[in-house]
Amino acid sequence: MQRRMTWKEFCFILPLLLLVSVFSLYPIVSSFVYTLFDYQTNKQSKNALYTGPVLNASLYAEDCDYLVHYLKKDVETVDASDRATLQTMMDTLAGQHALYADEKSTVTLSGDTGSQIAALIAQTRRTVETLGARYPDLRIVQKAPTLLDEMETCLITGNFVGLSQYGTLFQDTRFGQAVGSTFLFTIISVALELVLGMALALVMDKAIRGIGMVRTTALIPWAIPTAVSALIWCYLYDGTSGIVAALFTRLGIIASPELLLTTQGGTMFAAILADVWKTTPYMALLLLAGLQVIDRGLYESSAIDGAGAVRTFTSITLPLLKPSMLVALLFRTLDAFRVYDLIAVLTKGTPETLSIYAYKMMIGQSNYGYGSVIVVAMFALVALIAFVYVKVLGAELIRE
Amino acid sequence: MTTIPLTQPIPNRKPRPRGRTLMWALIAAFIAVNLFPFLWVLVTSFKPGSEIYGAETAFRLIAINPTVGNYRTVIDKGILHSIVNSVIVSGSTTLYVVLVASMSAYIIARCFFRGKVALMSLILGISMFPQMIIVGPIFNMFYQLKLLNSYWVARAYSTITLPSAVWIMVAHFKRIPLSVEEAAKIDGCSQWQTLWKVIFPMAAPGVFTTAIMTFIAAWNEYLLTLTLNSVKDYQTVPVAINALRTQFSILWGEITAATIVVVIPTLAIVLLFQKQIVSGITSGAVKE
Repeated sequence: MQRRMTWKEFCFILPLLLLVSVFSLYPIVSSFVYTLFDYQTNKQSKNALYTGPVLNASLYAEDCDYLVHYLKKDVETVDASDRATLQTMMDTLAGQHALYADEKSTVTLSGDTGSQIAALIAQTRRTVETLGARYPDLRIVQKAPTLLDEMETCLITGNFVGLSQYGTLFQDTRFGQAVGSTFLFTIISVALELVLGMALALVMDKAIRGIGMVRTTALIPWAIPTAVSALIWCYLYDGTSGIVAALFTRLGIIASPELLLTTQGGTMFAAILADVWKTTPYMALLLLAGLQVIDRGLYESSAIDGAGAVRTFTSITLPLLKPSMLVALLFRTLDAFRVYDLIAVLTKGTPETLSIYAYKMMIGQSNYGYGSVIVVAMFALVALIAFVYVKVLGAELIRE
Repeated sequence: MTTIPLTQPIPNRKPRPRGRTLMWALIAAFIAVNLFPFLWVLVTSFKPGSEIYGAETAFRLIAINPTVGNYRTVIDKGILHSIVNSVIVSGSTTLYVVLVASMSAYIIARCFFRGKVALMSLILGISMFPQMIIVGPIFNMFYQLKLLNSYWVARAYSTITLPSAVWIMVAHFKRIPLSVEEAAKIDGCSQWQTLWKVIFPMAAPGVFTTAIMTFIAAWNEYLLTLTLNSVKDYQTVPVAINALRTQFSILWGEITAATIVVVIPTLAIVLLFQKQIVSGITSGAVKE
């Protein structure tokens, strides 16, 4: 009889729920929200999510204060007829400064405050220009243009763009190429890993002596950080001192050693080989675990029935291994699909897979909005792959 | 699964010699391919720069003038400090992840509650989605909390390590028969006593396996550290070793020496705990 949930039991899973919420769910939801904004952290007017007009109040107030400071001196030096104009301007700007001086950063503008501020800036600019014709040496005439330009940037119109960035995705050929490269990399790597891993697992299932040695060496490539093993391969593939590049050239697989890391096809081949090297042993261990739970009696009875090795494999091993194999394949496919470390280290980003493209867009170009759109597209593709495995192929992940 | 009863003993047939030779050849080839990159890196790490790049000497197995200079240089450049960083970050990740995962896995394995399948699906889903989706928001979160360039990166690792930790622990708790708990209850154990004195000792191998797997996953993490810790003082091994590559030239002597240094802890873990690692890799993946 299973226990029911009380508050005491709930306390036990609370830390899990908290960590998952803060470090997984919140970021995922945030990424979805980012996709709705033209969010670029290197542009002052787009570096946060603004649904409506916003004023960078602290900077605006500071600029107003500077203008007032210059005007104070200027009021004394102009003719009596212009004094009133400057005095009014000074009072207005001082009023604006007083209004926003206490704000820490940005304030949301309501109603037509935004257009009022814009009008005020334009009005000030015109007045200063007319004054400039007669008093070219006034401090305000010299300083105001730059300050007014800056004040204009403080006035931020919203950067909410709705779903329009998803539309951009469909016209983005670079995205299309990234999808193609990612699928090519995933399908070839996983297929090779499955075939080689299966061969290795069958051998390990038979051999009694030496299996410990094989298992230990199998774990090493898997356990090494990908960023380190990619660096090792980067050396082996090197055009001048890489032994694998030299060997492949000698064997006639490539025309010249530097092609491996400099051409499109070469980098794809190099990345797949490095991935297969790293994960075939892992795949073999997963398949081996699946093989070892198959009842040995079945092999014996198939031997009695006179079935050959091939027949035994297709009629007994494969069908019984299918559940473990599908789960292993699903995890490997999703793992290969999000490949980042390997390619980022090996070639600094070619072939450009989806993860690489998204990272360049977000961190490299500070374009979080469009970068998140790419990531969300990846998310959708991952969901699609998982759906195909679970619903179409029948991979069983959760049993209750 | 049913076993077909045998009416007569089957003679233990040995594989044919040709098949056996092929099998051993395959095993030998596998081991050779698996280990060659490391051996070659080891060979290069003792070569002076002139021998690494020279056409005549680049592919020599043994250096003409072997040197430990590469090792001295990378140690001067602080590679050992990055190992310390990795130990701190991975160690603290392991501690809290194992604690949180075993607590919740026990409840998931033992209790009935609504939304349990949903919770398990959520955890599984998190382990499947591309990690890239959390990078932007996590960077912003750490920036706002002023936690960039600190050991706090370990908290963000929970996204990567928690799901599989919970998964492995649930599989282990389910293997402990419920009757053990009932027996403890009959013998007069309170709920807490049952948990601490009976269940957790029995779950110890599972906890250990989870700890090893979590530690390796945290040790190997690259993307989050790369993004969150740009300052060298807090970089872990995978990021620090890649920072040895300079803009214009790659000093393979230093990189190979650094590789050998940073791979030693991983090798030690694999050799010492391979049984736990294999059980960690395969738990949850095999339908028993």
